[in-house]
Amino acid sequence: MIILTCSKFVKNTPFLKGVSSFFFILLVCVVSPAQGRMLPENTQVHGFVSQGFILTSKNRFFGDSENGTFRFSEFGINTSVQFTPDLQLSAQALSRQAGTGDKGEIHLDFGMLDYKWISNEKGEFGVRLGRIKNPLGFYNDTRDVAFTRPSIFLPQSIYFDRTRNLALSADGASLYSEYRTHFGNYFYELEIGYPDVNDRETVVALIGSTNGSLQHEISYITRFLFEKGGGRFRLGLSGALLNIKFKSGTSPFSEGKIRFRPMILSLQYNAERWSLTSEYALRYFKYRNVDGINDFSKKGESFYLQGTYRIVPQVEALLRYDLLFQDRNDRNGDQFASTPAFSGIPAHTRFAKDITLGLLWDITHAWMTRIEYHYVEGTAWLPVLDNMDPSSTHRYWNMLAILLSYRF
Amino acid sequence: MKRCCVVIVFIVFVVSIVIPTVWAQDVVVHPTVKKEDISRNALRAIFGMRLRKWSNGLPITVFVLRDDSPVHIEFSKTILHMFPYQLRRAWDRQVFSGTGQSPFVVNSLEEMRTKVASTPGAIGYSPREGVDDNLNVLKVR
Repeated sequence: MIILTCSKFVKNTPFLKGVSSFFFILLVCVVSPAQGRMLPENTQVHGFVSQGFILTSKNRFFGDSENGTFRFSEFGINTSVQFTPDLQLSAQALSRQAGTGDKGEIHLDFGMLDYKWISNEKGEFGVRLGRIKNPLGFYNDTRDVAFTRPSIFLPQSIYFDRTRNLALSADGASLYSEYRTHFGNYFYELEIGYPDVNDRETVVALIGSTNGSLQHEISYITRFLFEKGGGRFRLGLSGALLNIKFKSGTSPFSEGKIRFRPMILSLQYNAERWSLTSEYALRYFKYRNVDGINDFSKKGESFYLQGTYRIVPQVEALLRYDLLFQDRNDRNGDQFASTPAFSGIPAHTRFAKDITLGLLWDITHAWMTRIEYHYVEGTAWLPVLDNMDPSSTHRYWNMLAILLSYRF
Repeated sequence: MKRCCVVIVFIVFVVSIVIPTVWAQDVVVHPTVKKEDISRNALRAIFGMRLRKWSNGLPITVFVLRDDSPVHIEFSKTILHMFPYQLRRAWDRQVFSGTGQSPFVVNSLEEMRTKVASTPGAIGYSPREGVDDNLNVLKVR
């Protein structure tokens, strides 16, 4: 509650926006050494600070990356209190700066009460109430924490930063369960709540420059996971039904609907030295009466295959191939580009093929650094707010990114 | 030359017998935990910080050594049949999504034994020869 009030206060006070990063660093400095000494036994405080540098050959990714940009940083601090083994309260404040879309305001990332009705050796069943991270794919729940990602940027085909807030968290309730057997463990989670549809990048990605506003409606997110050998083999199937209401800015009585239904299949194998991960997603969009667009639907498709190899325990190399198609029935974008209504928008804005090479070094337990190189064809996941004129984007481009991260 | 080879073979032989006993580890718990054995899967849920209480309702407090400690690596691999990085990932996922907490990290085996012996409901691990009467040993089924 305090964090929520603080974040609203900061949002409404322009001066404080710039101070937010400083505030976090200060908090980190104060809390970090205090941890374990001053805190009560069942309370934990954790956090992270990341600073990135991005250089692109063409196109802009998180600010003026063609000349090199430092406008990519993430700070977070969380606390959790376990009142009893069955009752936990936790909250995380997060600030993220990423080019034009994210300005670094502090917001409540999650804040929830978690109660387990059943908890024993066979499994568990419980409920979470509040702002909950959406359980989508392998990485969505902790996507802003560099230490939990396999690379500086998550595979953009599935975890694209364009509509990130929409997929990030929802305000509502979730039921979760785990069933443990000799064969493996089964996890199931169902969340019902309201997603965030009002951040600018999401609005632009969904309705472009259309005059109107979006309102959230009740939405559903669900994930099934199977883990064998304590997570050596992992299989996941997750999906969401996100409902959004469109209110026209030109005709006040006109209301439309956007339905977004992503479905993700996830697979992972973890060996001592290497891990292999792959996810495949189908993304269904349906527009009804959105500024004259009636009964328009499209099916997007995403896929990546990723291998990591731990050369020594502290150093890990990554190789990934990542594919995104905005419209499964028009993968190369030719149909789109030849439609008169979209004249001037190049076909390469409809897909992206990204080969990524990366290297991670855990300098100490708390410090981590990463470097990665992307060779990309297509611009389907380029942030719109950083590239307002799609006709001036380039089909082939490279990106180099460096990240330094601290955690406690 | 021949003698040298014999000596090397002998040393390797002795070391290979001694090492497993040096590294043989036990899961240790505070005497309030009235249990004799536990399944490997339940143990993974405990060290994965998902199972938080014993069947009698007593809260579980988990103690581990640092990720790069040889004893921790050996414990993860031979007792849990997991790699330390998998445990780390599981803890991070829970801590940064608000669904769980991370275990207490101790700096030495001495500290591990003292903490487990003095915290009701505590669980940890230790090489076999360091285990005394202040600790209960849990057999892994």
